[in-house]
Amino acid sequence: MNLVKNLRKYFRRRFRVIVKKEEYFMKCFMKWSLSMILIVAMVLVVISIGFTQEKVTITVQDYFRPGEDSYKCVEEVAVEFKKNHPDVEVNQTYIPFAQLLPTMLQESLTKTLPDILMADNPWLPQLIKAGTLKDITDKVKEWGWKNWEDFFKGYREITSSEGKIYAFQYTTNNLALFYRESLLDKAGIANPPETWQELKEDCKKIREVLDIYGFAFDAEASEEGSWQFFPFLWSNGGSLLELDQPEAIEALQFLTDMVKEGYVPRDIVNINGQGDLTKWFINGEVAFMVNGNWEFGWQLTEDVMQRLGDVNVAPIPVREKGMRTMVPFGGECFGISSNIDPVKYDLAWEFLKLLVSSDSILRLNVNGLGGLPTRASAAEKISVEELPFLKIFLEQSQYALPRPLMGGIDKYPEVSSTVWVAVQKALTGIATPEEAFKEAARTIQGLFSPEDYEKYKQLARKLLQEASGK
Amino acid sequence: MKTSSYKLYFFLIPALVYQLIFGIYPLIYNLILSLKDVNLITYMGGTSQWIGLSNYVQTLKDTVFQRTFFNTLVFTGLSLSFQFIIGFLLALLFNHSFPLKGLLQSLIMVPWILPIIVSGFFFRWFFSDQGMVNGFLLSWGLIDKPIPWITSQILPLFSLIVANIWLGIPFSFVLLYTGLRAIPLELFESADIDGTNWWQKILFITVPLLKPVIITTLTLGCIFTVKVFDLVWIITKGGPGEVSHLLSTLSYSLAFNKFHFGKASSVLVIMLCLVIGLTVLLNSIRAEEESSIG
Repeated sequence: MNLVKNLRKYFRRRFRVIVKKEEYFMKCFMKWSLSMILIVAMVLVVISIGFTQEKVTITVQDYFRPGEDSYKCVEEVAVEFKKNHPDVEVNQTYIPFAQLLPTMLQESLTKTLPDILMADNPWLPQLIKAGTLKDITDKVKEWGWKNWEDFFKGYREITSSEGKIYAFQYTTNNLALFYRESLLDKAGIANPPETWQELKEDCKKIREVLDIYGFAFDAEASEEGSWQFFPFLWSNGGSLLELDQPEAIEALQFLTDMVKEGYVPRDIVNINGQGDLTKWFINGEVAFMVNGNWEFGWQLTEDVMQRLGDVNVAPIPVREKGMRTMVPFGGECFGISSNIDPVKYDLAWEFLKLLVSSDSILRLNVNGLGGLPTRASAAEKISVEELPFLKIFLEQSQYALPRPLMGGIDKYPEVSSTVWVAVQKALTGIATPEEAFKEAARTIQGLFSPEDYEKYKQLARKLLQEASGK
Repeated sequence: MKTSSYKLYFFLIPALVYQLIFGIYPLIYNLILSLKDVNLITYMGGTSQWIGLSNYVQTLKDTVFQRTFFNTLVFTGLSLSFQFIIGFLLALLFNHSFPLKGLLQSLIMVPWILPIIVSGFFFRWFFSDQGMVNGFLLSWGLIDKPIPWITSQILPLFSLIVANIWLGIPFSFVLLYTGLRAIPLELFESADIDGTNWWQKILFITVPLLKPVIITTLTLGCIFTVKVFDLVWIITKGGPGEVSHLLSTLSYSLAFNKFHFGKASSVLVIMLCLVIGLTVLLNSIRAEEESSIG
């Protein structure tokens, strides 16, 4: 009897334990499934919020930070736009410049490109070829050709392809020689150099009297480094597609000699943007630097200029007197994306028209960016008395050259990276300028088919000739 | 147990989904990219073509890639060796107590704690022509022209290795020190009685007992070192003239400077194979160890 009682007790206990385990397990499972349902529900709510938009919205994507003058300029355009279209919202999204292209890549894959997008001008040939930008030629025709022709030549060329228009460039910048007058005075130099030989001699004097590096330019492994070589190359009649020619090798040889003689610091191959040059310049560690007009909106602000008191600008020296300084242009563009809702297309075009009107461009550049306007009607309104340092940049912007058209159009990024690798090799002594550029020329020629290579070569020569006024 | 086992698998779903989305899918996408001709135009237009192993063939033939592969092996080998040796010596040192031990131990952690941007910028200045090393050597008259630590053909890689060694010492130190503390003191005391000197103790007691920790340290160190990107990118961007590229920086440069997404992916797949190869090698040594002990 005891045995049976004990057995019964034993099994009951075990059963209770099993039931407890089952209970516990069920509790856990209930908790888990409840939390899963909650999470899924939250995610769905968030996604659905993204879809609830009753009003028509034009999305603009740019690198203007909220609160800055440039951002406000676009907001002012939006206000004016709403006067005629009260039921349309304009939404500005901020993407930092370095993320702009990767963001566009992402968006093109998921077909979520904004209605109006901003792109740096060297990207345009590739974006056009990829079909990212909408062909707005008909709209421009309606608007009137005189509006289109108000844009300077280079900016029309970069935003159009095979006779069709895809975007407008609204700001531009280019390069010149910045110098510290007080340092030049101390070294006994009366005027800024106009030729390469004069620059070399000036740097020699500066080294003897002040024992600092005379000259600095950007030679880092990026587009910022590559484009600073172009004034030296193009002013000498060289071409990105013909680097094995003497004109190109001479330009590189000059810069290499400057480094070898100790007039230019080798550290220029490792700087992190043209802004680093300005830091050396402000600290008096170099007397000459190659830089652009955006610096006046960035590091060489009014109070810095007042404190230094001796900053001036001259054209970049050329090989011989009489040659014209040829510079590349920078600057960004606005266009309409190709996957825009056809219903919104007309509205987006109306907004774009206002955004790139002469007044808007003037305001954006003068108030916001330290940049230069790309339209003649806006450029002539810039008072050179108020902003004397912009004079040289403004003149140069009229014949500055579009980089992609000078370097293989849609293969320009590869051409550019080949150039900076070769320049770095020569400046650091890894190869002679001739070796480096002969290798680079081979690589660049290998990027194109023979017909394309001839075509682009002739295009570059034609553009250079037209711009140098010969 | 009466509990049905299929319910257990439900608990795995969140982790599995996460791994699939953020781990497996990018890997497969990368593999697919490396088999297609993808550049900016075809990527944005969605018109990339399948070209099979053509990307790999071009990559392997490229002299820049070959140099970069060699760079990566040298970088990993030298970095790991010195990180390990210095970390081990420091661990042995800190196994005893001495004044200011706590303070010094926290100072060793500094390279790990500093954000990589700070360390990167520091070393860029440190090695520059107008930086600390050259300034020191010049002021003592040991050289009369600055040495191009990061502005020449051969030196940049070794300057990067020095920077990476400094960065990686805390990691090795922490792992080895923890393993060292786990060794019972009685072993050393009995060794003292037997009359062994200090290097015999290290060789015959410390190292054999630390073998699992050593292998773990080397494996993890290997995986992290092959992937090093920020340090190299901040200091030289792989230059000058592409001499100091590692596989990671070369792939980035191919992708975002030249927009050759297909080639960049092929470099990454090769890098992945390298990491897997090294990990399998080290794991097989560990398996041998464990089987010989067991």
